[in-house]
Amino acid sequence: MKLSRRETLGLIGGAAALGLASPAIAQNRKTVVGAMNLTSHSGSFIALERGYFEKAGLDVELKFFQAAQPMAVAIASGDVDFGVTAMSGGLISLAQKGAVKVIGGALAEEPGIDGQKLLASDAAFQAGLTSAAGLDGKRFGVTTAGSSFHYMGSKIAAAEGGIPQFVPLQKVGAVIGALKSGQIDAWSIVPHIAKPLAASGAVHIIGNVSDFLPNYQVTTVFTSEKNASGDKGLTEAFLKGFSDGVADYDDTMVDRTNGDEAVDEMVKLIHNYVYADRPLEKAAPSIINGSMRLNRGAALNMASLGDQLAWFQAEGLVDSAITLDTIVDASFVETIDG
Amino acid sequence: MPETTLSSPSPASPSGAETRQEVRFRGGGFAPKSRRWVAFVVFAVIIAVAEWGTRTGWISALTLPRPSDVLQTLIDLYASGMLFKHLGLSLTRLVVGAALGASLGIAVGVTIGLFSYVRAGLVPLVAALFPIPKIALLPLFVIWFGIDEASKYALIAFGTFTPTVVATYGAVDNVDRSLIRMGQSFGLSWLSIVRKIVLPGAMPGILSGLRISLAIAIILLVAAEMLGAQYGIGAYILEAGSLYDLERLFAGVLILSLLGVLLSTTIGMIERRLLGWRS
Repeated sequence: MKLSRRETLGLIGGAAALGLASPAIAQNRKTVVGAMNLTSHSGSFIALERGYFEKAGLDVELKFFQAAQPMAVAIASGDVDFGVTAMSGGLISLAQKGAVKVIGGALAEEPGIDGQKLLASDAAFQAGLTSAAGLDGKRFGVTTAGSSFHYMGSKIAAAEGGIPQFVPLQKVGAVIGALKSGQIDAWSIVPHIAKPLAASGAVHIIGNVSDFLPNYQVTTVFTSEKNASGDKGLTEAFLKGFSDGVADYDDTMVDRTNGDEAVDEMVKLIHNYVYADRPLEKAAPSIINGSMRLNRGAALNMASLGDQLAWFQAEGLVDSAITLDTIVDASFVETIDG
Repeated sequence: MPETTLSSPSPASPSGAETRQEVRFRGGGFAPKSRRWVAFVVFAVIIAVAEWGTRTGWISALTLPRPSDVLQTLIDLYASGMLFKHLGLSLTRLVVGAALGASLGIAVGVTIGLFSYVRAGLVPLVAALFPIPKIALLPLFVIWFGIDEASKYALIAFGTFTPTVVATYGAVDNVDRSLIRMGQSFGLSWLSIVRKIVLPGAMPGILSGLRISLAIAIILLVAAEMLGAQYGIGAYILEAGSLYDLERLFAGVLILSLLGVLLSTTIGMIERRLLGWRS
């Protein structure tokens, strides 16, 4: 079939009119959500698999990333609409440039719930690094400067009056390798990675992150500035679907109010995304071990975010003139601790 | 009829004075001349456009940093004294790694060029090593050489080694055979031929190969500082990248570029000194 120029123009016009005619919150609106293969992203997995996103009018496609930083850049460039990751230095800089906005909270430390662990290599452990008190001058592994590991290491050591050396290794895999072979002395990581490592004997758990940083808001939900201020309908729809997923996760995996059968079912669901390369029987304990609180309703702990921002500024990693308002749009969700 | 048309173009006008056609000189051109100021104009225009664009908002802060801010970042870096800490460590890594890789590469390249058995054994090996992305081997290097300086030296040395080998044995192959035959007919010893004919003859090729391998060394410097480096230009750039701090990112990239220009100029000077015999 060959279209004349006039027919082509007519078609283009028709298509444009069709686009204009559709309502602001269209059914099955195409939305790209950034995720990583970690249990802390279960809110998105569950919302997608159980149709909560669909119910909110979104046709969600998950896009996977190996690190938080590329995800933040992808949201700034508009390739991804929503993401869940730690408030890293890169995220703050992008927010300062008016590209991204934090709109909700996700993973959080909660006293009484098994959270992130402080690890020591076997060599360092044998040499006396058995608690956070010994961190001064030790080599602490981080992915990059300004990552959540950098924040945790610095805060934990400072609580005991120490200053470790931070060794950037870019990837979580590289940090694990360096810790196992004793090239670095200490690290902190989510429990589903920490516990199997400790079980192997090459690494020792020497503390809980929540003892030093109670209620630490580990990861946040964020989106582009354009979505946060210009497309509030889309943002609200996403948060609705995401919160439903989070509520299921907390009920089943953290508070265990739905019984063991529900746990098994949810582990199966999460296993599609986390440790998918291992058989379910092997992956299940790790996934269950990794159950940490995701904030209900994507609530934001502003006090923790304020503390994180203050640390970034004190370390000279971000501009000291940035205020929390520049980074966070707290109008979408409830806030905790002011 | 046909006769008149045939006779009409007369080769020389029979009427008196010969009209000589001036032949224009067609030589010249195709010879590069020194026009140094052009490079400065090109740089100045690019920087001016970037500065103007970022000031007027035509280029968003997300796309490019303002050149004047980058300059300010460099000045701050210099004032804080960190510039020399970064530069010192990076230059040490660069010099040690590149010196190791290049000298080993030249040695291996020359032996490949001279001995057929070595060539048969090593050329396929070098061809197999060349396309390996050295960055992919970085975690392995950390296990082999530790997380400190040794793994960084090794990475840069490995990266400069293979291109140097290839350039060197190519250069040795290209030495004028008639000169070697002449040396033989004058009764020069084998060692004398290598020293007086092969090595000087291969030197232009080796040096132009070094230009490439040293540029690769600078590229690998950033990769080498990905793992476990707290200071160094590469670590500085990576940190700026992870913080999405474009001013610092460009300041670091600028330093690397200057380093590249500096190295290229140095090799140019070595060329003029070692290859003076060519002119």
